[in-house]
Amino acid sequence: MPIVTIDGRQVEVEQGTSVIQAADRLGVEIPRFCYHPDLRPEGNCRMCLVDVEGFPKPVVACATPVVDGMVVRTPHESPVASKAVNGVLEFLLVNHPLDCPICDQAGECSLQDFYMHPDYGQHQSHVDPVEKVHKRKRVSLGPRIVLDQERCVMCSRCVRFSEEVSGYAELQFVHRGNHVELTAFEDRALEDPYAGNLADVCPVGALTSRDFRFKRRVWHLSHADSVCAGCSTGCNVRIDHFGGRIERVVPRRNPGVNRSWICDEGRLSFRALVAVPRLMYPRQGATELDWSEAVALSHDSLRAASAAQGRPLAALASASATNESLWLFRQYVLAAFPLHRLAFRLEREIAEVSQRQDNLLRRLDKHPNTMGALHLGFDGGEGLDGLLALAESGAIEGLLMLYYPPLVGEESKETRERITRLLHLVPASVVLTTHELPYLTAAKLLLPVATWSEEEGTYTNYQGLTQHADKAVPSRGAVRPAVEVLGDLWHCATAARRQTRPEEIFREIADSVPVFRDLTYASLESRSATAYPPEGRMHYGQEGFAGR
Amino acid sequence: MARKASRVVDVRQAAESGRDILSSTAGTLAGMEVTLRNMVRATVGRQHVTIQYPEQRKPYSRRFRGVHILTHRADGSLKCTACYLCETVCPAQCITIEAKEVQDPRVEKAPSRYEIDLSRCIFCGFCVEACPEEALIMSREYDLTALSRGPETLAYGIDQLTQRPEIAAYGAGFRPHMQYPLVESYLPGEPIPPREG
Ligand code: SF4
Ligand code: SF4
Ligand code: SF4
Ligand code: SF4
Ligand code: FES
Repeated sequence: MPIVTIDGRQVEVEQGTSVIQAADRLGVEIPRFCYHPDLRPEGNCRMCLVDVEGFPKPVVACATPVVDGMVVRTPHESPVASKAVNGVLEFLLVNHPLDCPICDQAGECSLQDFYMHPDYGQHQSHVDPVEKVHKRKRVSLGPRIVLDQERCVMCSRCVRFSEEVSGYAELQFVHRGNHVELTAFEDRALEDPYAGNLADVCPVGALTSRDFRFKRRVWHLSHADSVCAGCSTGCNVRIDHFGGRIERVVPRRNPGVNRSWICDEGRLSFRALVAVPRLMYPRQGATELDWSEAVALSHDSLRAASAAQGRPLAALASASATNESLWLFRQYVLAAFPLHRLAFRLEREIAEVSQRQDNLLRRLDKHPNTMGALHLGFDGGEGLDGLLALAESGAIEGLLMLYYPPLVGEESKETRERITRLLHLVPASVVLTTHELPYLTAAKLLLPVATWSEEEGTYTNYQGLTQHADKAVPSRGAVRPAVEVLGDLWHCATAARRQTRPEEIFREIADSVPVFRDLTYASLESRSATAYPPEGRMHYGQEGFAGR
Repeated sequence: MARKASRVVDVRQAAESGRDILSSTAGTLAGMEVTLRNMVRATVGRQHVTIQYPEQRKPYSRRFRGVHILTHRADGSLKCTACYLCETVCPAQCITIEAKEVQDPRVEKAPSRYEIDLSRCIFCGFCVEACPEEALIMSREYDLTALSRGPETLAYGIDQLTQRPEIAAYGAGFRPHMQYPLVESYLPGEPIPPREG
């Protein structure tokens, strides 16, 4: 395999690797606009020029494959490459508007970062601002994306994304020279269900997200690495939040799962968290309870309804719960109710879990953790229908339910009706849930638990890959993570205290369940995925402002 | 008065000798020379150094950093583009901005809320220096009072930062970028010169 020297450091790479990939592996930063690790290299922006020993002129690092013994010097080390890159930057800025103060990209803009770089940025512009060529601003490209033609650096990442990745091919360049414009045919709204990614691939502020438009400056945001809970694919995402509120969700690059993309539904799934009012306090009918009361009452009523009369307890958990919650849920049911029926699916079709909805990312199963539930010994076969049949025959009188409404789409009308019927039929029902949902009001006791983004945990996706989702924002009201509530219920049942830190619970799972053997939070692959390009790589701190 | 070379004095010894009582009294009086001179001037010569505030006020420097002013364009719209740079730089974290979209395509973005909590402001002027638009400047207004301490009373919003009569009365203060705004900025109540040609 070829060995290449970049800025004095050697690395051995596979045949066919480009210089920029080798540099990325070494952690040597080469400026780039058009190169993207998940798109075909095009080599049109000329920003990645490097000096290669023995070559007469600088060459583009993104389209030059390494050969054995190559000696590369980047703009950090080579004055020739530095001068070339500086010239490229000056050309790119000739007609660039002075928009940074109102540009949503500012703060994570490659153009800003590269211009400010001491090794190859900064120049005296030869252009008077009044001579700049103007193009159209604030062009609407449908509900997701706003285009500003003046800010485009013609890198064609967006064009290649829509051709190669989503396949919608809705964007193209028109005109020539100074007047090149990116445009959609007749400015038609983009139909692409992955259009949100265009704002991420665009290295500048030409394509920006309509949803995030003018919400916050990006340097005020704090970040949490998470996994999308919208379907069973489990795309790696980063939740950006400010003041306890989620402002946007962006993909993290994980080549084995979602590459650099997420679907628009997943991107906006955090809106579903606030679309319906949250359940804030434990409740019995209309009376608010405090937690100790509510937990004791829940346990006692379930005991009275099941064990005492020799009837099994029906235990139904949603496959949107984390592995940790599901594990404690199961532990509690096993410990407190010798007779039980444990189910997790609201619908019966487990086969859906890996069925594709389209040929990119989305899957039909809108639960992020169906596989995890299966691994943890939840018997999916019986499902809601089975429990309903039992309830109708009077065989069960107690129901414990852990329910999360889907983040993408809605629970089907049929399922909602069946849940309502089940809750009406069963005399003692305890439901741990997140929102004030009309079809759950028949429950005797409602316990508010944290949603995705408010608790830490792991989800196992359709591939059987267990991924870690961090806590991003705090819960409001008396809402607590499900693991804590289930830990308290367990305490009622066994009088023993147990560890409810997700990491400890996961260790317990790894010790007891073969599929999870040897996994720890630290070893989960999803933890090393970062957003591309790695935000804050150049000059700015990773965290938002302290104290906000 | 010529400055005397400093001298190390052993206070215990000095206190014991009666002769030093005399010299320390002389020293005290020498130290009060300025005070005494002004007392004589004010009482005998009727030349006052204090003024009858608040009926009388002193003129302040044009670089004085007082209560902020939001400036506007010739058409009367706010110059602020809601870039959040002032909010970002403010060490007291007392500026709160919320942005909105505006129809004018040359502007695009403007604040729907702009608030400075002056009870937390330390009048450092960083916000004014950070502003790329000369949208925020300071006035020479210094007497800031409120009847309660809550943020409601000293948290000035867009209205108070543009329309208080005090702005015209005190005039503009710290305004470091006056030489080079790309678009002229005007103070509230300031007459806008007619266009040339
Ligand atoms: S694209 Fe970048 S450089 Fe251009 S206006 Fe936006 S933030 Fe500034
Ligand atoms: S809009 Fe953005 S991604 Fe598309 S060509 Fe222009 S700069 Fe590149
Ligand atoms: S003067 Fe200083 S403390 Fe006051 S608002 Fe401006 S930046 Fe903040
Ligand atoms: S820095 Fe100036 S333009 Fe930007 S938000 Fe503050 S006042 Fe407005
Ligand atoms: S990144 Fe190599 S030419 Fe654009």
